[in-house]
Amino acid sequence: MKRALPVLVLSVAGLIPVWRYAPPAPGTGTTAQAAPAPAPTASSAPDGTTRHTVTGPTVTTEKGPVQVQVTFDGDRITAVTLLRQPDHPQTTAAVPRLVEETLRAQSADVDTVSGATVTSEGYKESLQAALDANGA
Amino acid sequence: MGFPVSLRVDDEDVPERAADAVFAWLREVDARFSPFREDSEVCRLGRGEPLEISADLREVLGLCEEYRAATGGAFDARLPGRGLDPCAVVKGWSVQRAAGLLAAAGARRFCLNAGGDVVAAGGPWRVGVRHPEDAGRLCAVLAVTDAAVATSARYERGDHILDGRTGRPATGLLSLTVVAPTLTEADAAATAAFALGREGVAWAAARPDCEVFAVDADRKVLRSPGLPVA
Repeated sequence: MKRALPVLVLSVAGLIPVWRYAPPAPGTGTTAQAAPAPAPTASSAPDGTTRHTVTGPTVTTEKGPVQVQVTFDGDRITAVTLLRQPDHPQTTAAVPRLVEETLRAQSADVDTVSGATVTSEGYKESLQAALDANGA
Repeated sequence: MGFPVSLRVDDEDVPERAADAVFAWLREVDARFSPFREDSEVCRLGRGEPLEISADLREVLGLCEEYRAATGGAFDARLPGRGLDPCAVVKGWSVQRAAGLLAAAGARRFCLNAGGDVVAAGGPWRVGVRHPEDAGRLCAVLAVTDAAVATSARYERGDHILDGRTGRPATGLLSLTVVAPTLTEADAAATAAFALGREGVAWAAARPDCEVFAVDADRKVLRSPGLPVA
């Protein structure tokens, strides 16, 4: 999971330019459409490796429908294209969110806390105070 | 300086006076460099009093200038209408010096936390990053060995870091954490990057041996690829 995260971040970062600059296809936006099954199309690259694209189903999100097409060169992803995207501009925030990060961090034991407190009143309320009391 | 300092030393053969020396040094720093003490070197220099500048003060002023230049003025210890305030550099620099005192006394595995800025010797130490909106929660956990961690944030006290380019509070980020080889670099880089706002994330990540974790004002989480996530 730890190793997967940077890749995820890079993938999402790669999506954003595509997202912004993709020409508006007819019917983009919130128009409802039946979800097609993934439809791979294969072609042989000059070097002998197989290049193929997989079109994902249309997924309904709270911001609107999303459909992605992924191009593989063998096992490697070479391109990700957004075929359908919601109109809502905030959808580009499909990167790790504070809420998810926080949930992941809560279960962990820690030795110390960075960014704990500025004031001594705040310190009494802080996680660092609890850690210090426990270690004393 | 008014922040809590906690120290944990795991080596058994380190004398207790090594810890006493740490706290004595930090009290000395407060007396000499606090912008809130009328008789500190910093206040006297800020008022333009004739003063023989100590080697320590010269080092601090040199660091302030280095980060001011590196941020195009976003980080500035001499803002118009305000006295000289090198706090953002003094804290990291002085706590790193304190860690040096411990190492000189033979400590190899210790964790020194000064108001949320951490020097971790040996390791790995599990360093939580405070949630920007809740002092009792974490938003990340880092595994840190022989490195330092500093976080700049807009906490409950509100906007206290100013963008020197505009003189207005920096509001692009909620919290930014830097992991670096020394706390001198981690703390100054975190404050400077916070002053830069959103562009500060990439700025800090591009500094040699710096890794970054940040939460922007939209609560989006950003990480540099080499961040040592536990």
